Amino acid sequence: MLKSKALLLTVLALLLAVVPSFAQEPAEVKVWIAFTDANRLGWAQERAAEFNEMFPQYNVTVEGYANYEELFAATALAAEQNSLPAIVQYFEVATQDARDSGYFKSIQSALGDRTEVDGIPFNLDDFIGPVSAYYTLDGEFTSMPWNTSSAIWFSNQTILDAAGIDTPPTNWAEVDAACTAIMALADAPEFCFTFPNHGWFFEQWLAQQDAEFANNGNGRDARATEVTFASEAGVAVLEWLDAQLAKGNLYYSGAQGGASWETVDQAFSSQQVAMAAYSSSDTGAYTNIGVDNGFEVVASFLPYNDATGWTGNLIGGASLWLVNNLPTEIEDGALAFMAFLANTENAATWHQATGYIAIRQSANEALMGEGWFETNPNFSVAADQLAGSTVTPATSGAILGAFPAIRNVVTAAIDTVLLTDTPAADVLAEAQTEANVILSEYNTLFAPVG
Amino acid sequence: MPLAYFLRTALYEQCSAFSLQLVHNWYEIHPSRLHTGDDTMNTLLPFIVGAIGALAGAALFARSFRGKQRAVVGTAIGAGAGAIGALLLMLPLDFCMFDPERKTADVIFGGILIVVGFALVTLPTRALALRFLLPRPTIMRGESGAGAYRGAVLPWLLLAPTLIVLALFLYYPSLDTFRLSTLLSRLGAPRTAFVCVDNYTRLAVDSDYINSLIITLAMSAAIVVIGLTLSLGIATLAFQPIKGAKIYRTLLIWPYAISPAVAGVIFLLLFNPTGGIINYFLDGVFGFKIGWLNVPAVAPWAVIIASIWKSIGYNVLFYLAGLQNVPNDLLEASAIDGATAWQRFIRIVVPMLSPITFFLVITNMTYAFFDTFGTIDYLTGGGPLSSTTTMMYRIYQVGIQNNDLGKAAAESILLFVIVIGLTALQFRTSERQVTYGA
Repeated sequence: MLKSKALLLTVLALLLAVVPSFAQEPAEVKVWIAFTDANRLGWAQERAAEFNEMFPQYNVTVEGYANYEELFAATALAAEQNSLPAIVQYFEVATQDARDSGYFKSIQSALGDRTEVDGIPFNLDDFIGPVSAYYTLDGEFTSMPWNTSSAIWFSNQTILDAAGIDTPPTNWAEVDAACTAIMALADAPEFCFTFPNHGWFFEQWLAQQDAEFANNGNGRDARATEVTFASEAGVAVLEWLDAQLAKGNLYYSGAQGGASWETVDQAFSSQQVAMAAYSSSDTGAYTNIGVDNGFEVVASFLPYNDATGWTGNLIGGASLWLVNNLPTEIEDGALAFMAFLANTENAATWHQATGYIAIRQSANEALMGEGWFETNPNFSVAADQLAGSTVTPATSGAILGAFPAIRNVVTAAIDTVLLTDTPAADVLAEAQTEANVILSEYNTLFAPVG
Repeated sequence: MPLAYFLRTALYEQCSAFSLQLVHNWYEIHPSRLHTGDDTMNTLLPFIVGAIGALAGAALFARSFRGKQRAVVGTAIGAGAGAIGALLLMLPLDFCMFDPERKTADVIFGGILIVVGFALVTLPTRALALRFLLPRPTIMRGESGAGAYRGAVLPWLLLAPTLIVLALFLYYPSLDTFRLSTLLSRLGAPRTAFVCVDNYTRLAVDSDYINSLIITLAMSAAIVVIGLTLSLGIATLAFQPIKGAKIYRTLLIWPYAISPAVAGVIFLLLFNPTGGIINYFLDGVFGFKIGWLNVPAVAPWAVIIASIWKSIGYNVLFYLAGLQNVPNDLLEASAIDGATAWQRFIRIVVPMLSPITFFLVITNMTYAFFDTFGTIDYLTGGGPLSSTTTMMYRIYQVGIQNNDLGKAAAESILLFVIVIGLTALQFRTSERQVTYGA
């Protein structure tokens, strides 16, 4: 009896689903992002659910991909089959690839004269300086910033205190001095500090010295045709790392690129190093590592080359790109969702949940009003570091084609310098030649002909 | 019939689309090549190469048919096959490697391709010609036996589903890999550029590539030799009639059920230089640590150990089966003759196991070449200092991480050729030492 009733209900429900309802179907807005963890994918899906409740005319669905590369491949394949979603997340170094793909249109051109969509304001002026600088290309606000971070420095203050160091080092000379003190401790950690061998950190240390990664204004005045990282500034970074390795201060795990992050997590949490360069995206996680393991973690600016001074740091992370040639109602839905995701409140909670920077000035003010930064001082470091940065082509970050592949060339060069006796200048010059081949091949295929 | 017609039309369309696309791609980027017709040398080249191929083919077949019937027909077929073979790989490439601006390496590579194409067509043709042109001895005909199919239609029809699937999903994509290997191509790019055989010839001077070739061969040799020796030893021990032998045997086979990626993660935890269990143990007991993953001389061994551990279950399984087939009477007879246990093992057991060893060498080599990828990816990511970048892993780095499809295609074709060559070599050299049956 019960069974047949259930069956009847199911059939009825199916019929109802098939029969076109009189109410307007919601516009499907598909969003593809490169997160799979509950903390970030889950957060985005919760926001989508809220958004769908507020705007029944849209149905936003967020789908997670394992990493940026996989998402990039899925996007290229979807483009071939004409089945692109409405919004795709691209990491910052794939910005040129995203522009050249032709799959996307700029936020500003989609907005036109509008300042809001469905009542949600965009307030493009409210984004903090380095963020809008990175994603403003050819004077146009191109993609919607979302997860934005910077490279910062985490210290095990408990060890630093034991060595008589009150505040974390701010430049390379101070790192060296601090390491001498730390390694002289009776129960010294195995190494003084470590860093992930990820291209981003080399770019950060280059930008701090106001040195550009590529020509044509770091690829911002015109398409970059050559990389220029084998400069004095670039060689200085590698020589410093190599010297620290030779002194026994630097721990190098041998892992490159994406795999390098967790080797740093391991060394820092097991207290085998006292300090580490890392992304501010994990400020929350790193602060908790200390809480869980009984030591105090202090975040500070990424130490810079004292010989050349500090100009500023660049951002990292990813942004949301709007797919080209969408039907108007889907495009509007996508724009509205982007604006919603980046509104003051969401920018603030996203920051609190992860450690990514609160990308709006208003969000930072709100957090300040709550006293968030006073109780969580580590969370203000990345934003302060970016706010203090002078915006130059170097600190805006490079825009160039095949950047992910060129990053691999850079990390391989760092690997070679650290593990062999070849002089840093030679290794970097060779890497630059190799990167230039990749870049020119990329430009052969992507640069407009004519 | 309609099906055959459909397939032929589809195939034809696919082929013409394929060649059209090739021509399109090439001339799009190198419009200057359209004018190569002005160059007398380039116009004549196809005819010269074709004529040489025909002569060589005719000579080859004439030799095979010497003193036999229908030698003239055979020689004529040889000439045709030789001409087609010599041009097989050259016409799609339009003799690009003989252009004046090309380097010597390209010309040499072009010569090799002509010879390869020639061999690819003439050798099978010669075998067929010898079989069908000459009267066959009646004893060779197998049709009279019970259970043989009469006619040619039914067997082909029954094979058709398999062949179609193979053609669509294996042969066509691999043909496409050849096309891809002559291009500069990136996923998502609006166009591709024809680069002739640059993707191949640049590898000859690429020290990183040569390095990966050496690493692959060395690591494969270590995995095969150490892995098989260890497996035979373990299998021999597990074969002893002791209490609980069945449990030991079952436990030994477990690692095989784990995927290479999971093996990579397990060994990552074990080998980790800072937090790993192995170094913790070494430090506690012997007072030193080994940089398993960040010292270029040690890292390959970490991969080798993980790979051997992963494949040992499979090898032990086969050796256990093989040991059961070693005749006991032989062992007993030699024991009575005074042979020691070691002599019996070396002189009787090992030779009796040679078919299994031969099989395992082939499967382990294939494993070492292709399936260690997951272990390497999780354990070392090809580093440090590219010391664990095997050819397979390099293809992943070039094609997937760097999105350089053309170069990755060229490298995967070379890897394919090397593995085929090594397997053929093993078949030729080891088969003589393999004893099947007593």
